[in-house]
Amino acid sequence: MVKKINIKALISILASKITIFLTKTLLKGGTTFPGKVALKIDKNILSKVSKGYKIILVTGTNGKTTTTNMIYNIIKTSGKKVITNNTGANLFPGIVTTFIDNYKFFSKKKDYYAVIEVDEANVKYITACLSPEIITVTNLFRDQLDRYGEVYTTLSKILEGIELSPDTTLVLNGDESLLGKLDVKNNTVYYGFNTKINENNIIDINADAKFCKFCKTPYKYNHITYNHLGDFYCPNCGFKRADLKYAINKIYDLSPDSSSVRLNDLDVTISQSGTYNIYNALCAYSIAKELNINDEYIKKSLENQSSSFGRQETINIENKEVRIILVKNPAGYNQALDTLCLNKASFDAAFLLNDNYADGTDISWIWDVDFEKLKNLNMDAILISGIRAYDMAVRLKIAGLKTDNFIIEETFEKLTERLKTSPNNKIYVLATYTAMINYRKYLHSQGYIKNLW
Amino acid sequence: MELNICHLYPDLLNVYGDLGNILILKYRAEKRGIKVNIINSSINDKLDIDNIDILFFGGGQDFEQSIVSSDLNTTKKEDLIKYIENEKVLIAICGGYQLLGKYYTAPNGEKIDGLGVLDIYTEGGDTRFIGDTIIYNEDFDETYVGFENHSGRTYTNGLKPLGKCIYGYGNNGEDKYEGCIYKNTYCTYFHSLLSKNPELADRFLTIALSNKYREEISLENIDDTIEYKAKEVMIKRLSK
Repeated sequence: MVKKINIKALISILASKITIFLTKTLLKGGTTFPGKVALKIDKNILSKVSKGYKIILVTGTNGKTTTTNMIYNIIKTSGKKVITNNTGANLFPGIVTTFIDNYKFFSKKKDYYAVIEVDEANVKYITACLSPEIITVTNLFRDQLDRYGEVYTTLSKILEGIELSPDTTLVLNGDESLLGKLDVKNNTVYYGFNTKINENNIIDINADAKFCKFCKTPYKYNHITYNHLGDFYCPNCGFKRADLKYAINKIYDLSPDSSSVRLNDLDVTISQSGTYNIYNALCAYSIAKELNINDEYIKKSLENQSSSFGRQETINIENKEVRIILVKNPAGYNQALDTLCLNKASFDAAFLLNDNYADGTDISWIWDVDFEKLKNLNMDAILISGIRAYDMAVRLKIAGLKTDNFIIEETFEKLTERLKTSPNNKIYVLATYTAMINYRKYLHSQGYIKNLW
Repeated sequence: MELNICHLYPDLLNVYGDLGNILILKYRAEKRGIKVNIINSSINDKLDIDNIDILFFGGGQDFEQSIVSSDLNTTKKEDLIKYIENEKVLIAICGGYQLLGKYYTAPNGEKIDGLGVLDIYTEGGDTRFIGDTIIYNEDFDETYVGFENHSGRTYTNGLKPLGKCIYGYGNNGEDKYEGCIYKNTYCTYFHSLLSKNPELADRFLTIALSNKYREEISLENIDDTIEYKAKEVMIKRLSK
């Protein structure tokens, strides 16, 4: 039986589907335009095409794409039907595209899931149309201040979206003080670290959100995982981290390739390294548990999680192991550098800095990244590229890296030649958003990457 | 020789890579064999102005800036005024720049008293001035490149500017001037102030050392190829 749907919605879906077909075949990509077409015809189309799905929204400044991917894989492994927008098209029209692309006129949806990554400022457009099962917020770091301004502005944008959906369960990072004690009606559960990952309990002077959001007193920490995340409390007003429903209870091993931890009472080796990926996995675990998915599926999925789209993605270029890491703000960049620091053997690194809108047009943020910690690593070649290569070179020089090892290349072609003849076999490529996208496109055109999206 | 650089509220006023300016000053001084001590001065700390040679006053987010403004008036105002009038080197950026004036209007429309050390004031604007900036300083015959991001319009009442805008908005988008100079207090909206302007960094170091050791100091040249190349790339790109 054909579902009840009006003519306007029908035309909207058809027009958009045709556009999807055309953009996929002709432009090889392009994920927001079809959604724009659909919205032009029927501005309420999202509520129609998303009917029948249990929706999980993933937002926050860092870790959205990887977390979305992890949740998607867990649900899929458990045998349920699930869709996602995992190419990072996380604005309203891109999300509409995802639903329309998966829309079938003659099917009834039962136990279908949609795991949707959404930009912080776009949450409210989504919750205006539908009521998600779960909204999760990963963290809030200083991010592209030329667009959104401050972490508090970002938080209030997310809250505007949450307010429209009071029946949604919130799964929040408890170690993120900005997400504590929110003034919302929603059922809220928290996840975080119950065990320390290092000996640090003094917050870095340059971290975000160090002052109590209620009384402006500096927080104290029982332990800090990275930046301002950790087991915090306010010594003045008593505001402290919420009780954790889901937690990292043990850390067995941290290597450049994986992390072995205990999630509540489940031992898992997460196949992507770095503290930030432990958070991403913990978030995915928490959501899976809220959805009553069995531990065996979660474990199997997290242990075989392959990297997504420029997030520690490993590419073979003439027998060089090239690992691309997207870096977009100081907190994320510092985490990427920590991953580099886990290497005991020598390696090379490339630093790609762009200043397009999606990267942030103000590149001053690189001065908030602690490149100084690279000073004592075994790096033989320091490749530098991107629109703002020379600004990056100045930053690395002041950080104390050896300028004799600097190789500045303006084109991808020359950069790739340098990679091929680099002294070490392992090369990290740290790239801002458009640098990552464009370099992947180049590597795709040269046959080094099979799937562009 | 030795230099003490003081970072005002490094834990509160630390957006837009302000810390970079201090790292650059330190690097350039140490290259000349000058020992550098970084002093952090935050909430409740008295300013020990006799032991400070360069003072750095950056910008913050609204939440943090509200914590700063009350502490500034209660624990640091008098010393800060003395420091400025004694012709010592102060670098004030964005929020720090605004706070030195008579008042500024916050984004929510609230009029907030500044320290009133400088005869300047800042009005709120509807739009933000965001983008790369090039300015030219006639007295020094130097061109500086940076990035501005502010909604405040600052009016400087005839104080010398840091430079005339070649590209970008500057203090208020009207008079085509950027920043201001009073004695050895340098104010600006430039983020990454010193990364592409090593000549300005050296100017600060020279003034501070000459002040401290009461003699003409001239710094030996160091390799600035990368810095000037970074500047040249931006000037070329913006002049297109």
